[in-house]
Amino acid sequence: MNPEDTLNPLWSNEKIKQLVSDENGVLDARIYNDEALYDIELERVFARSWILLGHESHVPNAGDFLNTYIGEDPVILVRQKDASLRVFLNQCRHRGMKLSRDDAGNAKAFVCSYHGWAYDIAGQLVSVPFEKEGHCDRLNKADWNPLQARVASYRGLVFANWDEEAPSLDDYLSDSKPYIDTMFNRTEAGTEAIGGIQKWVIPTNWKFAAEQFCSDMYHAGTTSHLSGIAAGLPDGVGLNDIQIPTNGNQFRAKWGGHGTGYFVDEPGLLAAIMGPKITEYVTASPQAKAASERMGSDMFGQRMLGQHMTIFPTCSFLPGINTIRTWHPRGPNEIEVWAFIVVDADAPDDIKEEFRKQNIRTFSAGGVFEQDDGENWIEVQKLFRGNKARKTKLNVQMGLGDSTTDHPDFPGRIGGVYSEDAARGMYQHWLRMMTEPSWDTLKP
Amino acid sequence: MASLINIDHIISSPAADLALQHEVQQFYYREALLLDNIKYEDWFALLDDDIHYYMPIRRNAMQRRGRARTSDLAEYTNQHEFAHFDEDKVAMSGRLKKLLSDFSWSENPASRTRHTVSNVIITQGEEADTLNVCSSFIVYRNRLETQVDLFAGERHDVLRRADNDLGFKIAKRTILMDQSTILSNNISIFF
Repeated sequence: MNPEDTLNPLWSNEKIKQLVSDENGVLDARIYNDEALYDIELERVFARSWILLGHESHVPNAGDFLNTYIGEDPVILVRQKDASLRVFLNQCRHRGMKLSRDDAGNAKAFVCSYHGWAYDIAGQLVSVPFEKEGHCDRLNKADWNPLQARVASYRGLVFANWDEEAPSLDDYLSDSKPYIDTMFNRTEAGTEAIGGIQKWVIPTNWKFAAEQFCSDMYHAGTTSHLSGIAAGLPDGVGLNDIQIPTNGNQFRAKWGGHGTGYFVDEPGLLAAIMGPKITEYVTASPQAKAASERMGSDMFGQRMLGQHMTIFPTCSFLPGINTIRTWHPRGPNEIEVWAFIVVDADAPDDIKEEFRKQNIRTFSAGGVFEQDDGENWIEVQKLFRGNKARKTKLNVQMGLGDSTTDHPDFPGRIGGVYSEDAARGMYQHWLRMMTEPSWDTLKP
Repeated sequence: MASLINIDHIISSPAADLALQHEVQQFYYREALLLDNIKYEDWFALLDDDIHYYMPIRRNAMQRRGRARTSDLAEYTNQHEFAHFDEDKVAMSGRLKKLLSDFSWSENPASRTRHTVSNVIITQGEEADTLNVCSSFIVYRNRLETQVDLFAGERHDVLRRADNDLGFKIAKRTILMDQSTILSNNISIFF
């Protein structure tokens, strides 16, 4: 076996390639719970992909920092004096202790609580206690800085990537950018984050959460969220009185595993989630019309509704609802959800407040929609402990062969709103990341 | 909102009259039984029309900023920021509709919960017929086959005298959860 071929003797590339079939729409359930596959994922997926860390507005001033993660590695995102951003491993080079332990704040330096090694906000080791007495001038501090990651922003969203060889964020986002812009490019002012990151733990594999936001309008249109919809109905209106829309599309990125889906001209689901005020703001307000002008398309500005999206691997968001989150992996069987809310920076205060309240009500740990997602994911995950259940071949065939690239309104590879083409794209890209160690073959 | 809760005021307040203390505690015990026996509609009837059911998010903050704890804004998200709950009567009635819909998978089958309420400290409210009540809770949740969650925290209520079986309605409930990252797949129960 070629040592370059695999990171774990249990999983040769040939074996991994049998786990996912884009062509036939079949998944092997072991992708969700195998410990050895997860170790390969940390190396080949999370250490090579662009991971969402936060929003530019989380760290507006020099020295502002946010503690977060790339995969399971803790990192510090810090605003520099020249307004640039840096991301480095939150780990002292002396004995490996965390350098910073509050969730966020403003710092002039990061001082390790173990032996007092101090690093400046750029992540350079600047002070070592008793350096003269202990090291006698033999310590070259420049050799002992924490590992730096690449940082890049797209429309206010801050991503980081450990891999020097990986494509730029711009190339990485591939042809998915117009679909991101429906949430993040509605106004010249851009977006801002509402303060506070909500964090919670779900005992499930990260790919369930990522895939659902990438590709799964199906669960929203069928059984998963009926009670969440019921929670938003006016008195006297029941679930039997409403019609779940069917008119819409799904987009599968040509590279990168990203995907999105949305209804067209059907505001029903958005209204059930966000209520009339936000629905009006998104579909009919002067701001909505301005967004259409800005994007050169009323389709992208006002008519794509109830949109879900994932930027591979773990950045997911819902345009119009405006929740965005990273699904941080914690072993194959657990994730931490780190969710925040964004709003148009120039939206009226009452609209910002309405986005805040409706997100708390619907898409949060206690949200009437999100509560039920966790329920499905943990039950599936637990089931995969079974000897037979973990080897089950799962069906991901909806819309197989139906997508085309000649849609009059939507660029890229487009299928119906109830499709799993974007899911197949996500798993196919996962498979490539897992089995192609070189960017020579993997690059866009 | 200069501070979330004036904890020093509560700590230094004189002990409440014994009969009042007894009455408020008995209200809480019965409220807990409603929740633990999934009598959602009866519990909902205890929420007054101006109910504000609020649970801010709690952050890890170094002591140089967090020493004052509940009065310090670095540890808790403020009223303009994200929260776990920030609900009025309409939002709460939506939650009731969800629970009564038969499709509320996160609570169907229902969680088995045990709400234990203690450390009750009563001070006079801003209105003549209201009481400000600080209490501690431990809520055990077990659901489905083996899921166990344990939640602990502090509640700050405004109770209003009411002409109902239990003698009070809840006008305001601020819940300070003793968790930063919520260690559960959801918060589908009430506190």
